[in-house]
Amino acid sequence: MLASRLIPRYTVRPVVAKSTLPKVVSAPALSQWSRAYSASSDEKDLVIIGGGVAGYVAAIKAGQEGLKVACIEKRGVLGGTCLNVGCIPSKSLLNNSHLYHQILHDTKNRGIEVGDVKLNLANLMKAKETSVSGLTKGIEFLFKKNGVEYIKGEGSFVNEHEIKVALNEGGETSVKGKNILIATGSEATPFPGLEIDEKRVITSTGALSLEKIPESMLVIGGGIIGLEMASVWSRLGTKVTVVEFLGQIGGPGMDTEVSKTIQKLLKKQGLDFKLNTKVLSGDASGEKVQLTVDSVKGGKEETLDAETVLVAIGRRPYTAGLGLENIGLETDERGRVIIDSEYRTKHPHIRSVGDVTFGPMLAHKAEEEAVAAIEHIKKGHGHVNYAAIPSVMYTHPEVAWVGQSEQDLKNQNIPYRVGTFPFSANSRAKTNLDTDGLVKMLADPETDRLLGVHIVGPNAGEMIAEGTLALEYGASSEDIARTCHAHPTLAEAFKEAAMATHGKAIHF
Amino acid sequence: MASFAAVCRATARLSSNPAVGARGLYICAAFTSSSRCLAAQNFTMPALSPTMTEGNIAAWNVKEGDSFSAGDVLLEIETDKATMDVEAQEDGVMFKILSQGGAKGVQVGTRIAVVAEPGDDLSSLEVPAEEKASQPAESASKGGAAASQASNSGSSQSKSSAVNTSGGGSYVHKLPLLPSTGHLAAQKGLSEEDLSKIKPTGPNGRLLKGDVLAFLGTIDAETPATISSRFEKLGHLDLSNIKVAAPKKTEEPAKKEAAPAPKAPVIENLEINVPVSLSKVVEVQNKINETLGVFLPLSTFISRAADVANSDLPPASRQPTADELFDQVLGLDKVKAAKGTRGVYLPQISAITPSSFVSAPSKKSDIIDILTAKPKKQASPPVIPTVPGLSSGANVFSLVVPKAEGERAQVFLERCKAILEEEPGRLVL
Repeated sequence: MLASRLIPRYTVRPVVAKSTLPKVVSAPALSQWSRAYSASSDEKDLVIIGGGVAGYVAAIKAGQEGLKVACIEKRGVLGGTCLNVGCIPSKSLLNNSHLYHQILHDTKNRGIEVGDVKLNLANLMKAKETSVSGLTKGIEFLFKKNGVEYIKGEGSFVNEHEIKVALNEGGETSVKGKNILIATGSEATPFPGLEIDEKRVITSTGALSLEKIPESMLVIGGGIIGLEMASVWSRLGTKVTVVEFLGQIGGPGMDTEVSKTIQKLLKKQGLDFKLNTKVLSGDASGEKVQLTVDSVKGGKEETLDAETVLVAIGRRPYTAGLGLENIGLETDERGRVIIDSEYRTKHPHIRSVGDVTFGPMLAHKAEEEAVAAIEHIKKGHGHVNYAAIPSVMYTHPEVAWVGQSEQDLKNQNIPYRVGTFPFSANSRAKTNLDTDGLVKMLADPETDRLLGVHIVGPNAGEMIAEGTLALEYGASSEDIARTCHAHPTLAEAFKEAAMATHGKAIHF
Repeated sequence: MASFAAVCRATARLSSNPAVGARGLYICAAFTSSSRCLAAQNFTMPALSPTMTEGNIAAWNVKEGDSFSAGDVLLEIETDKATMDVEAQEDGVMFKILSQGGAKGVQVGTRIAVVAEPGDDLSSLEVPAEEKASQPAESASKGGAAASQASNSGSSQSKSSAVNTSGGGSYVHKLPLLPSTGHLAAQKGLSEEDLSKIKPTGPNGRLLKGDVLAFLGTIDAETPATISSRFEKLGHLDLSNIKVAAPKKTEEPAKKEAAPAPKAPVIENLEINVPVSLSKVVEVQNKINETLGVFLPLSTFISRAADVANSDLPPASRQPTADELFDQVLGLDKVKAAKGTRGVYLPQISAITPSSFVSAPSKKSDIIDILTAKPKKQASPPVIPTVPGLSSGANVFSLVVPKAEGERAQVFLERCKAILEEEPGRLVL
């Protein structure tokens, strides 16, 4: 009986009618099996753990290259730290708080008189969320467009080829990959002794979504993240003090001259700085959060307190729950996944890029590496030029640099020539009434080859692209100076600085 | 060095030589273009006329080790038309003569001697490798060389520059030149020929301002390369001196070791057994074989049954993730209500009555490896040859799973049983 029903159908596709199968197997499940079977039986060309900037760029690039790729992300949204709790939301707050600050303090002398100015923090945050959600959904769309399978869950290694995923919606699945890319990113480094509650003791994540404007804020760490968040809340009315261990703000990579310039400008905006100061301990038990600080040289212990403390002492690689130990992968003492120059771990088919491994923790660096890693997989060669990776701080004015700083060159006894040009001599900056800052160029004294560009000034972050391009092509300052720049633009300051480097600026 | 290099520059000037009734030549090592040795230079057979392809060396007027100065006759060359003297353009020392006097039919461009700069210590010199420049290139460069000589004669600065360079090879530069480079070349009257001698040090072989300055002798010749190597170093991540973190806890590996040995009692793991009769499957198998002449192995039935049974399994009970907790806070958990998810189980099968089949041990261990590995996604390829060691009667399907997944695994096995016992034919339709 069975056979008589079976055989005729053998030649045609089975159309599953109501069957005598037990209830546990639903009919559609059975009718799907042939398709599902082939889909699930083969392994992926590439499985990416992490849907942040490194992971999603790698996924899209791999999809474009025709690889069968899956991307595992546990946040529930793509884009990682950068899009969700980093670069993007902070830029929204920076831009809008700057606008608010400008309306409050900088419109009268421009001939614009504004009546009552009120801040609606909830709407400020909503504007931020709109930007963020638009961008993260955009990535999801790009995944679909490029055939990337998006698995929402937490991945961990079972063995060298297989990753178990605890799905966000419950349950578990596993994926196998011929190649695997670890792109799990980083997290804020906590300050020992201060428990982060993201309300009173916050990281950058909490600083992006405070529910009310705190009266006072202490920022531990005067690096880029600390200064950007300090700027936002200071503009909105918080009394901000930045405590920095080093002798300069902006981190060790920022050119000292530029750092001093921006410190002066930020101080004018109302930020307080305590440099060369070590935070010994913190106490969040009282009404206010207290920090005990001491001069780095010792001897001047004092107590600071504030309503909110922002911990911005850096970020550390994030590999928790990844099961690296199951495949015998080691990290270095700072928790970074150990790789070779082609981003391979000791298992050659497992690579790692972005914040979780070596190099500066920058979204654009992660992006470059992601593309290079895919090119290594697909084409056998990929490259990132680490000598030409720009850094930008989006305060006002912005600070941006690429290449080596003056102190770098000095420390390594490399000869150099400096050329600077102040924005106060730039026509566009003058008309904008925004003349703080300068462009500084460093070039080899003999060959004139560009060694570094450092800008503090309006739109520095956009302008640095030109410096990066120049470095990438091995340009001399003369090459920049001989390139026509539109008038009147801020970029002319860039050209004039180049002229000042190998000869003389025209307008200064 | 400078004066010597000029000896080797590709210049040929003709002058009349009444003594031989033929034309004498001021010639230098013709058109050498890529010697890597700075001290010694190849001296190649010169082309004395545009049509000359080979010639005979009548005699050398200098011996190895002899010094000569500009204007000295170095050798006499016979062609089918005439005998000509070859004169030195610059001072130098004859280091080695490779084609002795009397050599016949020496091709133009063939190395005939090696010369050195005056004052060079001949005992420490190396003979540079012979260059194999092609004939057309030789004659092409001749015209350009003469031209550059002419333009150089006006400017002593340019002359010394040209002199500085001949150690290099010939380079084709990327165009357009950088603004600074093009400007400098025009200003200093460097011809394309001159530029092609400059070794570029920029990214991807781009000619930089510094390269031209070094060529002109304005700056130290080594500086551009030094800077480039510094950029090269900066261009890579510093992966030296990596300090590996001390291993933390060893709990995880221990747990992992337990997995491959499912027979051993493991506290966290739970073994679930379900008896399954394969008699119906065998029946279908035979029927298909009889009717269609196609033999479908049991493994096909089983793997497909497992595949169907894996779909939409109830979730394992486990600690909620942070995201789930967050969703609960937002009240989203009901929206996203935990639905069944796809499982990744493959049953381990053993016959209740040991069958009499002789099973290939390697095959069997393979399958057990696959079956006992923790959650896996369809490890078996769609068609596997017969699984040996299965009884056509009752078999035990078993799974070893973490305790939390007990229910999930039970449902899976029940489904397998149902599918295989009730209607296995559907699996292969």
